[in-house]
Amino acid sequence: MKLLNIAIASMILGLGVVTVVVADDDEYKNNKKYSKKYGAKYSVQPVKNELYKEECASCHFGYQAGLLPKRSWIKLMETKELENHFGDDASIDEQDRLTLLSYLVANASDSKTNRSRLSHEITRKISRYSTPIALSETRYFKKEHDEIPTRLIKQEDVKTIANCVACHTTAEKGYYGERDIKIPNYGRWDD
Amino acid sequence: MKKRVLLLLLPLAVFGANLNPDMQKYMDNLAVQAKKDNPNFTKFDYKRGEEIFTSTHIGKRGKPISCTSCHTTDLKQKGKNINTGKTISPLSPLANPKSMVKVKNVKKWLKRNFKDVYNRVGTAQEKGDVVVYIINKK
Repeated sequence: MKLLNIAIASMILGLGVVTVVVADDDEYKNNKKYSKKYGAKYSVQPVKNELYKEECASCHFGYQAGLLPKRSWIKLMETKELENHFGDDASIDEQDRLTLLSYLVANASDSKTNRSRLSHEITRKISRYSTPIALSETRYFKKEHDEIPTRLIKQEDVKTIANCVACHTTAEKGYYGERDIKIPNYGRWDD
Repeated sequence: MKKRVLLLLLPLAVFGANLNPDMQKYMDNLAVQAKKDNPNFTKFDYKRGEEIFTSTHIGKRGKPISCTSCHTTDLKQKGKNINTGKTISPLSPLANPKSMVKVKNVKKWLKRNFKDVYNRVGTAQEKGDVVVYIINKK
């Protein structure tokens, strides 16, 4: 009988916990506590690694580590992956590869020290069973960009949806807020 | 003995440009390898380098591409990555003193870009030729 009581009590407690989590999940956009903890809604930590800037951001926009979870960076930075990096050869010195990987993992969207609200939002919407290797493959990103006409993306001044800084004028600083969006040959974007 | 003669001759293999000692050593090593691969090899050649740099090939993406697709034909000007749109600093040391200075970087880009444009690695001779072209192109 006593055992049954404990079982029931823990079930109730368990349900209680679940409820709290769900409520937190639903309301967190307006949750002041969350905002205080994770900062501005559309920003991530800027890149603070010279090797990353030199090795990665010499060919493409320097995507901040907080834009993808650890498992994504681990997959992306595999030697085999780098040899065919979105169609290009991006092979790199082994020591540099490991240094970059540890930087990316330490600052990934799901790293414990990452306090960015944007990072949490991105992470939260990726299925735990998938490992996207591009931010543009993530559910959060797709939803945010689904209304932009293809012609504005394909145009010479932008070229690809992966060229963040072409429209997000403050992307280098890790800030992706709407008021800093300026699409070439279009102007400001109001959702 | 034979080796010493070769080393004395090799610095002449690269003409015109000022290379730092590390780069010179890298070029000398390439020349040794080129001679091994092809006994008729004498020295790196600007004209052959120009052909390597400006000709079009089916690249890694299965589409026609040339070095000039991104770097343009004026190496003193900035280039632009055709896939990402990112600006590329000028390749010519005449316009960009940081270019062709660090052996590690030169090796890295030759490996990557031969794959991108030729869909294979470059031979020692090809690498030397194209470096000679880049550093001497006016």
